[in-house]
Parts: sequence; C-alpha cells; structure tokens
Amino acid sequence: MTGSLQATRSAVPAAARPRVNPIQQWWVLTVRMIIPTLRNGELATQIIGSMVFTVGYYLPLKEMMGQVQPLSSYAQYLTPLIILQAIWFAAVSAAFRAATDSVQGINRRFRAMPIPAIMPLASRLTASMYRCCIALVVSVGCGHVIGFRFHGSVLHILGFAGLVLLIGATLAVIGDLIGIASQNPEATAPMMLVPQLTLGLASVGLQPVDRFPDWIQGFVRNQPLSQWVYALQALAGDTTDAAPKVTWAVMTPSLIWAIGAGALAVVLHRIVSRRRR
Amino acid sequence: MARSEKAVVVAGIRKSFGSVAALRDVSFEVERGEVLGLLGPNGAGKTTTVNILSTLITPDSGRALIAGHDVVSDPAGVRRSLMLTGQYAALDDMLTGRENLLMFGRLQGLKKKVAKERAVELLEQFDLEAAADRPVGTYSGGMKRRIDIACGLVVRPEVVFLDEPTTGLDPRSRQAIWELVTDFKEAGIATLLTTQYLEEADLLSDRIVVIDKGTVIAEGTADQLKERTGGTYCEIVPRNMRDLPQVVRVLGPLLPPAIRAALSETSDRISMPAPDGPTTLMAALTKLSEANIELTDIALRRPSLDEVFLALTGDHAPGSDDRTDKFAAVDAYA
Repeated sequence: MTGSLQATRSAVPAAARPRVNPIQQWWVLTVRMIIPTLRNGELATQIIGSMVFTVGYYLPLKEMMGQVQPLSSYAQYLTPLIILQAIWFAAVSAAFRAATDSVQGINRRFRAMPIPAIMPLASRLTASMYRCCIALVVSVGCGHVIGFRFHGSVLHILGFAGLVLLIGATLAVIGDLIGIASQNPEATAPMMLVPQLTLGLASVGLQPVDRFPDWIQGFVRNQPLSQWVYALQALAGDTTDAAPKVTWAVMTPSLIWAIGAGALAVVLHRIVSRRRR
Repeated sequence: MARSEKAVVVAGIRKSFGSVAALRDVSFEVERGEVLGLLGPNGAGKTTTVNILSTLITPDSGRALIAGHDVVSDPAGVRRSLMLTGQYAALDDMLTGRENLLMFGRLQGLKKKVAKERAVELLEQFDLEAAADRPVGTYSGGMKRRIDIACGLVVRPEVVFLDEPTTGLDPRSRQAIWELVTDFKEAGIATLLTTQYLEEADLLSDRIVVIDKGTVIAEGTADQLKERTGGTYCEIVPRNMRDLPQVVRVLGPLLPPAIRAALSETSDRISMPAPDGPTTLMAALTKLSEANIELTDIALRRPSLDEVFLALTGDHAPGSDDRTDKFAAVDAYA
C-alpha cells in the first residue's frame, strides 16, 4: 500500500459526485443478496431442502395417509404442504440475512449514505421473493415427479402461484422482522423452524382434519397453514370431486391469514426498526 | 457549498438517552482541508457525536452542519457529503473486495463501467489487487481497514470520519494512512479523526478537541495543549551529584523559588521551566559552563500528550468508575 499511495496520484477522486439513482440502488442491493446464495450453498440447500421435504413426507406417509385422504392420489393431497414448507424454509434464509446485516453494521453504513431508508428492506424482500420463486418452481417440480398435476384452468394455476408468492412475501417480512429484532443470526433458525414444524404437523396438509382428536380439530382446521393448504388444493384441482372448490368461502380465510399476518408484521417491523435507530 | 464555509460546524449539541446525558453541550468546527482530532476515552461521547453528525440519530438540541447541510433539516445533503469508516461502518463480508467497491460505486450513482474502473484504481492504490477476488470476510485486519477506506472513496466526500485509522497497523501501513490524510488535506476535504490514542491524534491532527463525559474539556493544537500543562521545561543532570547545590546557586534567578524549595538531598536532577525554550537552555548552559560544572545531560523536555490527557481528564478516581462505565454503555448503544 505504501508504494502506491506514495505515488503522485491522489486516492481522492477529482470528478464531481454523480446523482444517485434509487432504482439502481435497489437493484444493486438486491444483487448483493443474491450473489452469495450462488456461492455459499444457500441455493443448493434450498433445492435439496425441497427434495428432502418431498421424500421425507411422501415416502413414509404415502401408504398410511394415502388411504385416508379423499383425493385421487396422496401426491395431489400432499404437494401444497411441501410447497408451503419450502417457502417457509426460504424465509429462514431471509431472517438469517436480515440478522447478519443488522449485527455486522452494514445497515448503519447504508443509513449514512444517500440511499432512501426503505431501500435496504425493499432489496431484502426482493431477494426473498427470488428465493420463494426458486422454492415454488423446485417444489412443484418435486410434486410433479411423485404425481402432482394441475387440473384447473390457467387462471387457477396463476392464482396458485400468486397465493404461494403472497404467503412467501408474508413469511419473508416475518423472517426479516425476526432477523432485525433478534440481531442474532444463529437464533433466527430455531425461531422460524419451530412454528414451521408444529404448524406443519398439526395441519390438514398431511392428513384430513377428521383424523385428528376432537379437541384439537378446531385449531387444526383454522390455523393459517391448513387454510393455505385448502386454498392451494382447490386451485390445483383434482380428477375427483373431492378437492375443495375455488370459492370465496375457501379463498377468503387463506387470503385474510396471509394479508393480515403480513400487515401485522409490517407494523411490528416499523416499530422495531425505529427503535434500532 | 461556498468554498469559504466551514466543512463541519457543531454548535451546542446535546443528547440524552433516558436519564443519561451522553452529550452535554459539544461545540467545534472543522475547516476544509483540516484534520480535527476528536480525542476522548471510551464512553466520552465520540460515537454519539459521530452518530449525530452522520444523521443516524438526532440531537435533542443544538445545531450541526456538514458541508453546509443541517443534520436535522437536510439529512440527505449530509449523506451526500460524508464518508464513514471504522467501527461506525461495515462492509459486506460475503462479497469480495472488488464486489464491495463495485457495489458502493453503484450505490453512489456511478455507471457500471465507471464503477468497475474506479474499483480497479482503488484496488491498485490500496495494494489489494492480490486479494481483490476473495471475500472480505477472509481479509486480515489491515486489509479490512484499507478496503473499508477505499469503499468510502469511490466518489469524492467533503467530510471524512476516520475512526482510529492507524491503531494496530504495521509502520508501513501507518505511513500510508498518513499519506492518505495528506491527500485529503490537499483535496480540501475535512477529516474528523476520532481516537482514544493520543499518539495518533498528535501525529495526524492539525487541531485536537478533547471530550470527556459528553463535553469539550480542551481544544487547540497539540502544542497548545501541551503548553496548558506547564509547557516546556529544561532538565539538567550534573555528572557529580555533589555539584547540585552549586548548580542551584549558578542558575540564580532562572530557577523559580518553588523549584528551589522542592529540591532535596535525594534529588538527582533539576527540572526548571523554560518559558523561552532554547534561549533559556542557552542561558543555563552558558552559566554552568562558565562555572566549570560538568553535566551528563541538559535538554528541553515537553510534556507528552499522555500527560496532558491525564491532567485534563484527571478525575478518573475509583469513585467515578461507575459513571464512566454508564457513559461507555450509552455511547456504545448509540
């Protein structure tokens, strides 16, 4: 360093500062989140995770649960849950990154730079949606391999993808909230995984609600993951008439859960990030 | 901003966290091309001051301008003018040095091509070419310091905040940082150097502001601060200690009565004030030489900044420790 800095050229640029461009900043900050996923195995983990969810649920449960569920195949019944678990898994990464940024102090640097305050969060959420899209594509692919098919119209398929991404966005905001609130990357994974597993097992994603004991059926039926499973099963359709129908009665609760939880997380996020100032 | 304006103006800022006053009336100014050392122990309020000046927190009262922009009413203008480094900022450890430079260049509005060229230039100037494509998380302490500063120089700042820039660096790297600060001065950039190390402030700063417990307790050049604690003195060591009474007699009126009275049989040297520096030394030397008194040593001594610092912040007695810790905690949180 000595030699080069002693050279005649000054390290200080002479040119005037250019104007900053918020769109460019949003893109640069998003790419910053995505580049490491290609290198540190996060993307690979995401893909393998979807496969593990598929194999881990489908193989051991196919014979037992396959007999008691109403749809044409257990793959058709199970795949919505596999997809939801995969996007939840993506939100775990979102929480980890948010906590890492928070604790490393790079957020402080961004806040002292000419960058709109919302931009780092917007970029983290964009990167989360990238993870969600990967999770969606890979887990639908896994579902396809075991026999999952779309039987509805194109509109229903789009609705299916849209609902998954909406839920993914909600989970990403929750993950980000947990990340900045804990400021502890190691603590984020258990905080995200415990609800993922408990809600996943106590949902209609693995078996119909009437297979659960009476006392817990109310919870199992109405908890968010079950309502999302019903909606996704309806949008995917089936060769039999046993799948839930695409009606407002089925769709509304799942939308309320996704939008409501997302809105609550946004409010809490604002409170926590203000306090971090 | 007009060329003649001060780069940094801090006027009477105060900040409390709950019942703890982290800053109680801090004021100072930094000219363009000047290096101001903000010196103080941990918890003195340095971090809180920097946080206010970089718009991360707002002061309870008082006013602060960076390159003519008010930190409260025009934070966007402030953020366009400054560069943060050290403990006050961080890089993305998962990205390589080059990617970090590219990212900060693009965030500051450089076109992709220009940002790439600037990254190459800075990697070369900061001697980081060999490590350019390694993640910053794998860098050594000195390399991190360099890439950190380089990332702040993708575009021209008006005000630079350096935090203990040379602490823990090898002499070559220290020298390089020193050169860099000279570059800043020549480019008319104001530098606010925060440190708890006097040597660093002494070497790099044009002026020093000493803060302690949230308030400015002294201000001036390193020389002026040294003058404040007694100034220069002349130290005389005779070869033969038996000559000491004769030395006292020969020096006559040069030696103030207080010093004369303080001498005892165990004294092995005479330290007397030298208000006229070399002239006083010369006068003493002439008198002693005429009296044929042999000397082992005679020299002008100046108090070190450490002595100055301890004298200024001298009430760190055991009783005040709790209070200092409390301040340290608040300052770290801020």
